[in-house]
Amino acid sequence: MVIDDSRAMRMILKRIVAKLNFEAIEAGDGQEALDLLATMTEVPELALIDWNMPNVNGLEFVTKVRAEPRLREMTLVMVTTESEQSQIVRALAAGAHEYVIKPFTEGAMIEKLALLGLVPTGANS
Amino acid sequence: MSVETVVTEDDLAEMVEQVWVSYLDPEGVSPLVVSGDDKQATEVHSTVSITGTWHGHLVYACSLVAAKKSAAAFLAMEADEVSQEDISDVLGELANIVGGNVKAMLPAGCFLSLPTVVLAPDTASYYPAAARISGLYGTWDGEPVSISMWQSVKQEASA
Amino acid sequence: MTLSQADFAFVSALVRREAAIVLAPGKEYLVEARLIPVARQVGAASVTDFLANLQRKPNPADQRRIIDALTTNETSWFRDREPFTALTDVVLPELVKSRGSARKVRLWSAASSSGQEAYSLAITLQESLPAGWAYEIMGSDISTEMIKRAEAAEYSQVEVNRGLPATQLVQYFERVGAHWRVAPHLRRNVSFKHMNLTAPLPAMPPFDVIFLRNVLIYFDVATKKAVLRNVARLLRPDGWLFLGAAETTIGIDDNYERVAAGRTSAYRVRSAVPAGAARKG
Repeated sequence: MVIDDSRAMRMILKRIVAKLNFEAIEAGDGQEALDLLATMTEVPELALIDWNMPNVNGLEFVTKVRAEPRLREMTLVMVTTESEQSQIVRALAAGAHEYVIKPFTEGAMIEKLALLGLVPTGANS
Repeated sequence: MSVETVVTEDDLAEMVEQVWVSYLDPEGVSPLVVSGDDKQATEVHSTVSITGTWHGHLVYACSLVAAKKSAAAFLAMEADEVSQEDISDVLGELANIVGGNVKAMLPAGCFLSLPTVVLAPDTASYYPAAARISGLYGTWDGEPVSISMWQSVKQEASA
Repeated sequence: MTLSQADFAFVSALVRREAAIVLAPGKEYLVEARLIPVARQVGAASVTDFLANLQRKPNPADQRRIIDALTTNETSWFRDREPFTALTDVVLPELVKSRGSARKVRLWSAASSSGQEAYSLAITLQESLPAGWAYEIMGSDISTEMIKRAEAAEYSQVEVNRGLPATQLVQYFERVGAHWRVAPHLRRNVSFKHMNLTAPLPAMPPFDVIFLRNVLIYFDVATKKAVLRNVARLLRPDGWLFLGAAETTIGIDDNYERVAAGRTSAYRVRSAVPAGAARKG
């Protein structure tokens, strides 16, 4: 699942995860993502989450997902321009598994997903 | 804590380089070439505002051709297929990315607005109450592109 | 203006052989754009002239320039991952047993470039060594420019995104303006020296572990032999050598034997050979 209010950023993220054979569902903000999740029988394996979005922001989304036992298996990765040390600590404390700062290269994103065991070995280059 | 915050041209240049290598020119064949010409005409202006402990704006400006080219690179489409909405979305995200990184260099407690993109010439008239504190001016494939930072004058006076 | 097919084929073959990089046809413009500054740097009139000279008279320094120009920022944290896992799971437990009296390990990141490997080693040791143990890491590089960068220990946003887990970013780095700097408690244990691995190496205490990765690929067989011989003198008899995934000592230097280390391999000096003994070459 790719959650970002920028369609351009969603496109870029979708292109990258498609290379790892993920099929991505898009959401334009945290509330839209939560609404979508509520209707889904199969929980997505991975969510790439922007921080600054209207309605429910990325940090609130992470907090809500972590409080929901049904969504416990989802791997949560913040993908944001928020790059203060304190913000990264906040997101990790709220339950995000990884944190990618924008701008990121395709290689960097794939390396981060590899850290989370989401990339088959050899696909990383 | 000082409000005399320095985000230098070198800092902006480094951010630009990172945006280019990440999205606009991943193969490293078409960099932004710095010209220093702050009078160059631009037609698209994307702005994020910073509020909180520091007040001002980050403006990403470029020609329509450069804007279409940026959008095409982001969205993996041809430049002539790019719509006005595509330009608005991509240029907004570019200002957001640079703005977020600039914010991290400012005193703690700043907030970033959502970006505003206008397709019109001349940026200064939109922010009459702000003064430019740094700017990076150059060309990308011959097309003008600039990134500049503006600090609200009112805050300076009261600081 | 654009590269000839023959020149492109020459460059493709070079980078495929030496760096396992495959240049797809149609990337002529990319090769050309990347080699223009290289040609200028070596004083050639054009990329075509530069490549013609090199084909007439091969030289490793110019080959390395081409490979560097065509490898975009390959420097990641914990690059290739497995050697660092092997360090934690296999090498350090063994060293902790055998170095019980000294309680100190010494590591060398040979060809440390901008320092990511040396600091990745420092993070690994910081997290894996038992309390009360000390470590020392030396990085070396042939480029004084790179030594300066590594000593400064400052990395851009894009650089810290590469392979560095966020938990370690916030734990071992501090934000300095637009950059991230390695924390002082790690930097204290890491030093850098300018060094040419193909020349006789300065005298120094031997190392328990040497990372010599993606260095041999740049050299011809005679130079590979010389480097491996130089390095063997600085490896403790029971020490470990890690090479790049595409590199080996097999067929180059029989003094080393390949051993399994976790899911990767490392090299150790054969026990029959008294390591450290000066083997004049």
